[in-house]
Amino acid sequence: MQELVNAVAEMMEEQAAALTKKYLAEGVAPLEILNAYKEALAIVGKRFEEGSYFVPELILAGEMMKHAAELIKPHMGDGKGASGAKKVGKFLLGTVEGDIHDIGKDMVHMLMEINGFEVRDLGVDVPAKRFCDEYRDFQPDIVGLSGLLTLSYDSMKAVVDGLKEIGVRDKVKVIIGGGQVDERACKYVEADAWVTDAVAGLKCALQWIEH
Amino acid sequence: MIVIGEKINGTRKQVAHAIQVRDADFIRDLAMRQYENGATYLDVNAGTLPQHEPEDMAWLVEIVQEAAPEAITCLDSANDKALRAGILKTAKTPMLNSLSGEQFRIDTVLPLAREFKTELIVLPLDDSGIPRTSDGRMDIVRRLVTLTREAGLPDEKLFIDPLVMAIATGTENGNITLETCRSIRAEFPAAHLTCGLSNISFGMPLRGVLNQAFMALLIQAGMDSVIINPDDRELRGIMMAAETLLGRDRHCMNFNRAFRAGKIGPKPTS
Repeated sequence: MQELVNAVAEMMEEQAAALTKKYLAEGVAPLEILNAYKEALAIVGKRFEEGSYFVPELILAGEMMKHAAELIKPHMGDGKGASGAKKVGKFLLGTVEGDIHDIGKDMVHMLMEINGFEVRDLGVDVPAKRFCDEYRDFQPDIVGLSGLLTLSYDSMKAVVDGLKEIGVRDKVKVIIGGGQVDERACKYVEADAWVTDAVAGLKCALQWIEH
Repeated sequence: MIVIGEKINGTRKQVAHAIQVRDADFIRDLAMRQYENGATYLDVNAGTLPQHEPEDMAWLVEIVQEAAPEAITCLDSANDKALRAGILKTAKTPMLNSLSGEQFRIDTVLPLAREFKTELIVLPLDDSGIPRTSDGRMDIVRRLVTLTREAGLPDEKLFIDPLVMAIATGTENGNITLETCRSIRAEFPAAHLTCGLSNISFGMPLRGVLNQAFMALLIQAGMDSVIINPDDRELRGIMMAAETLLGRDRHCMNFNRAFRAGKIGPKPTS
């Protein structure tokens, strides 16, 4: 299994797919294979933080994972879905109203899903009311608000105000993300945390879920 | 090339701090240096929280104008109140950054451009996002140029941005931008083309090298303006070299004069 971990971590796309097929044919438990991918992605994330991997490596790793999930799906047999096992938490995500940036948001979506979150992604330019409606329906543990414009801060604040209005602000963690967000924006929005890249967002979410 | 200096931007930490504590010297220095390094336009983005933005924008414009009276300000905001506050402080008609196909910008920015007869940066995106194809971007450009013409703005006042997306997130992103450049150049020859080129290298190592290569390709595709850090000596060298090589520099005089003035090439060691 270490061979698969290495293949994914070293960005050997074809080798990773071939090994996955081989293990599946040999009857290796799908969960074991998925764990190898997870381990590899942790290495990729670490290298990204250290500055030897960059955005393309994150994206390619995500694609390898997606492809593996497709290969594994027919072997899972039940309704649990390819990402296997039980979900660690629910994550409601979107780029706030007035903003249409999606690179960061999509990367967060991918990383959260890979790490066992059930993700509901509302897309871009999402009005505060829609976040609240979806909150009621989905009951997430965490709400992630993405935005790169300074105007986005008002839209983010509107979501937090909406969550207060429907009386759930203390039941949910709110994290804001974007290249420009900082402590001041976080205070203004009254979010619980702020991050400027997707890997940092994932770390923060995992910490919340563990405690 | 028409250079729009990007450094007075409140989303950069040092600038945000200077705005907060009203450090006029810091802003003045940024304005002067960019102008001296060849920026015709100076982008001014307060980048502050919306309720402070008009006041901050007005403060910035006043200082920039006093520091570099020959430069034209390029007022950069999605907030029409901030844009208006800036316009009212300018002596020279500013450029507005920007109009896009988003309805709120059509409703708020276009009337300002019409009222004050400003130059205008035009972005081919709309309420459903940035089209992933050159054809999709051209549809929006055509729609917006129809609107600006109806508003009485000649095409010469438009700086159309083909939009640059990170090569890290899509291998075709460079080609899409270049193809859009060529289409705009062919269909709207009187309009200018500009872009914030450093987006291309987002999420990549050696960003400077990628930016330099892309600069040369963009100029070949018809770009005649860029939003950059004018103090970037290497990028300036590549920019001037590309123009010279493409026959836009008679007898190579711009290039050679810039060399003699020490504006490009290795820094004089003294």
